[in-house]
Formats: sequence, C-alpha cells, structure tokens
Amino acid sequence: MTATTVTTPSATPARTAAPLGRLLRSELRLVLRRPRTLVIFGLFALLPVVMAIGIAIAGARSGGPNGGLIASVVGNGLVLPVAALGLALTLLLLPLGVSMTAADALAGEAAHGTMRGLLLAPVSRLRLVGVKAVGVLAVALLAVAVISLVGALAGTIIVGNSAGDGGLLTLSGTAVGAGEAIGRVALAAGWTVVQLGAVGAVALAVSSLTDHPLVVLAVLLGGAIMFGVLSAIPALDWLQPYLLITGWPAIADVLRDPVPLDALADTSLKAVCYVAIGLGIALTRMGTRDA
Amino acid sequence: MTETASVTDSAGAGATNGAVTEQPPAVRARGLRKVFGKTVAVDGIDLDVPAGAVLGMLGPNGSGKTTLVRLLLGLSRPTAGHAELLGEAIPERSAHALPRVGALVEGPGFHPFLSGRENLRRCAAAEPLLATAAIPDAVDTALHRIDLVGAADRAYRGYSLGMKQRLGLAAVLLLPRDLVVLDEPTNGLDPAGTRDVRRIIGELHAAGTTVLVCSHLLAEVEATCTHVAVLQAGSVVAAGELQPLLEADGPALVVSTPRPADAVAALRSAGADAHIESADVVVDLRTLPAPEVVAALVSAGVPVHEARRRRTGLEDVFTRLTEAGPRTEARR
Repeated sequence: MTATTVTTPSATPARTAAPLGRLLRSELRLVLRRPRTLVIFGLFALLPVVMAIGIAIAGARSGGPNGGLIASVVGNGLVLPVAALGLALTLLLLPLGVSMTAADALAGEAAHGTMRGLLLAPVSRLRLVGVKAVGVLAVALLAVAVISLVGALAGTIIVGNSAGDGGLLTLSGTAVGAGEAIGRVALAAGWTVVQLGAVGAVALAVSSLTDHPLVVLAVLLGGAIMFGVLSAIPALDWLQPYLLITGWPAIADVLRDPVPLDALADTSLKAVCYVAIGLGIALTRMGTRDA
Repeated sequence: MTETASVTDSAGAGATNGAVTEQPPAVRARGLRKVFGKTVAVDGIDLDVPAGAVLGMLGPNGSGKTTLVRLLLGLSRPTAGHAELLGEAIPERSAHALPRVGALVEGPGFHPFLSGRENLRRCAAAEPLLATAAIPDAVDTALHRIDLVGAADRAYRGYSLGMKQRLGLAAVLLLPRDLVVLDEPTNGLDPAGTRDVRRIIGELHAAGTTVLVCSHLLAEVEATCTHVAVLQAGSVVAAGELQPLLEADGPALVVSTPRPADAVAALRSAGADAHIESADVVVDLRTLPAPEVVAALVSAGVPVHEARRRRTGLEDVFTRLTEAGPRTEARR
C-alpha cells in the first residue's frame, strides 16, 4: 500500500513551495508548544495577579491620587491591565518573551540544524523570514492578550471597582463608563503589540546574524539597558527621538481624559520604522546566509 | 602523468566522462570552488552523477565532502563555478529541483522538545509535493521504513544517536524522490542500523532514485555503490564506476611462503611478473595463470603456505589515490 500521494509533475506544473497556511500552522504549533514559551506565558498571567494582590493588601494604607500608574489602580480595577502592560513592557519582561521567540526563530533553528531541513524542503528564504515574523508576532499578541485579560479579571475581582458602573477613573480624575474603559485597555494592548513588533523585528535581525540564540537575548536586553543609560545623559538629548524605549511611558496616556494621542502616535510611528529596519536586515542577511 | 589522469584512464567510461543514457545527470558540478577566508575548501570540482547511479563520495576528513554537498544543495554559495541538480541551476532554480531531492546533511536536525512523529510532521508540512491530506500516512510509512515506530512518540531529546540518525533518514523518505543525498548516513548506527541504511539505499536504487552518499566507511561504499568519487584536499582525484576502479590493478595471486626471495626468482624465470609485498609474494595473473604459478613454485621446491586470489578492495584503491603518487609510477 502506498500511502504517499504526490502531485504528478507531468499533469500540472509541480508545486515549488508548500501551502503557506500549512507552513504558518506548523510554525505556530512549534512556537506555542515550546516549553519556554509556555513558562513565560505563565509568568505573564501571574504578573497582574501578583500586582492585584499586592495592591489590594497595600492599597488600604497607601492609596493616593498622585502615586503614579500603580497607585491609581487602588479601587480602580480596570486600570490594572494597563499598569501591568506598562510594567511588563518597561521592565523588559514582554521584550524578553518576544526576543526569546525571535532568538529561537532563526538562530535557534540554525543551532539545531533544523534550518537546513526547512531550506532544503524547500522553503524560500523570504518565506522563512515571513513565517518566523508571524510566529514572533503571534507570541507578542498572545502575551499582551494574556496580561490584558488576566489583568482585567484580577483587577475586577481582587482590586475591585469603586467607580461603580464598571468603568474606571482616569488619571485626569474623570470617570469613564465600562465600554470606554475596555476601549482604553484595548488601545493600550494594541499600542503594546506594535512596540513589541519593533522589538521582535530587531530581535529577528540579530537572530539572522548569529547561530547562538543567547546572543540575541544578550544584544536585545543589553541594548535596551544601553538605551536607558543613553537617555539618562543630558548631553545626548538629541538621541531621544530615535530611541525606542524612552517613549514607552506614553502607555499611561490612555488613562488621561481626553487621551493625548501625539506621544502614542509618535512612538507607534517610531516602532513601525524599527520594524521596517529590522525585517530589512533579517531579509538581507537570510538571503546570503550559509545555512 | 598525473595521478588524476591515470585514474580516469583506468576508470574507462566513468562518471566524469558522461553517462551512457541521454538523461541529464542528476548532479552536475562545473568548476565549483568555495573559499572560507584563506582556506580553499572545494577547489574547482567537476563532477557528474549519472541519473539512477548510487555514487559514493569518499575522502579523508576535511577533504571537502560536506562543503561540496552543501554547495550542490544551495545551502551555501560557491565562490566560483556552478552546480545543477536534476537539470536545474542551483541556487537560482532551487525551488524547482529541491522538492524532488531528499537530503540528510551534517547530521539530523530536529527540535528536541517535539516527538519524532511531530518533528516529521513539521518536515512534511514544508514539503511542496506532499498533499496535506497525505501527511499523516506519509509520516507513518516513513517511520515504518526506518523502524522507528516504537520511539515515534517520545521526545527527540531522549533519542540515542542512532535513533536521531534514523529520524533524519525518515525525513528523507517522506515522499518518493528523484535524488537522495546522504552525508555520513551510518554515523552512530549499530550494525543493524548500518544494514538498514544499506537496504534503504538498495531500495532507492531499485526505484530509480539517484543516490549520492558521502562516507568514510569504505566497506559501506563498496557494498552499496555503483560509482565512486574520491575527494582529496578539495579536489576530485578519481571518479568513475566502481567495478573498473576495483579491477584497475588486474587480477593477482598472493602467495605466502617462508622463502619469498626464492619464490620471486622461480616465478620470474617462469615468465611471471612477481614482487614481494609485506612478506607475501604477489603474482600478476595476466602474465601467468594461477595453476602454473603454483606448479612453478612446487617444482622449484619453494614451500607454499597459502595461495589466494587478491581482491583489490576499495580500501587499496582509496589508499593509493589519497596518498602521494609515486606508487602509481612505480607500478607501471
């Protein structure tokens, strides 16, 4: 019994590439089954819960209107997902998760010898970068979704909501309804995904340049810390507009009334530029790379 | 006369001189050269593998076998020269050739946290010629063919070296191929595994698949190949059909005797071409048939412990080709 069916080369022009949907499904299954991805998703789910418990315990004593993003969560549960996203982003937890996936995507495949198999199948090098970028974006999306949803749940259940109608109190002191509150959380989530897209693209670029996944993490996290140092030096103020992470505190803007969009738009545009540069480098490098 | 030339002469209608059939060669390399920094890994290689042949590529470690295979498959770009697989230029038209090519290069590469079966499914998902509905069956069939069904659902992480190698072969066997390239396929395999590889190469050959197998196990190549190419320091020093290469030395009789010098003297006076080789006497049977050799020795009163027909093994040929040339000259 021959179980294998092959499209006959004579009848129709033989396929030169596997169906894209099949490749993408295979990639997503690989990324989402990788144990370290699941571990970091667990961490992402834990973060808002820990924050909620901490705030619920301390909140009774130290609740105040001018204590920043985290302090504003007190009695204001739907602010928690935004605060958790902001914290996970600026403290580099989310960038770590995305960089990890990007590190495994090209450098890791090269290190395991699995990239040879893909290129010999063949999967074209352009397609390979595209499929890998989708995998990284999927992790970014899911990570942000996990933090937002668990954050909203933990915020509502553990922290509670003194705004009453299921909405939230903005940093400007006004109250908004439930629908708008959810819209603002969604805005924060979407903006965070765009920022993570930039991190992922840069990580893919580094990943295409090395065979060692750890190098990718080192470069990305080291780079982020370096950006932080550079942005703290007054003489280098002119650098600020070009640095990705210095714009990240803008996430708190979604909680102002009305929402000031200039910083959010500005950082998103910057992120799109980083995506273009990162993917450009990754594609160029993969085109000539020995596998 | 250079070594290469003398070998090509003796190889007769070898692979380099073109296949008998009008089909294009499954593999064609012209002036293929690869330089890493100051190291010349592959130095202007011309090679044809006729369609349907099983070509064993031999060479000491570092002779450029793997680099050549990687160039042929388009995994790395040549510094100069060009390659064709199944009549398609590599790497420009890789997408048209590679779906029909199966390759196991530089050892098996799989994801450690996935099971063997899941790894194979991932490979199958990327194969252009495999229909989506056929993937589960193709994976099962491949697992059966390399006898890995029992371990198919265990994580690849826990596989032994031999099992990893078998899984690598399974990925090659996911669908019928026109060309299969195996780089050291018996690495880490037990004797049963080695036999399996031999059987699989035999099956592929019978199905009309061209096979290019790199090995430093000479017995392996001798048992399974129709053609050989010998690489030395980045160049092909010999290429051709296996049989003529093996018979290049001509038939000879090896006589072990306690008095070799007397034996040589007796044989030479009987008109035979004889010389001493590591305490044994080697007689060229083209100059005197075997029964007469023995008769000449007995009549000269030379005691004979043993007389046996010499089979020139691939090992002898290989040693002669990969070591410096003076013996070739001396033999003439």
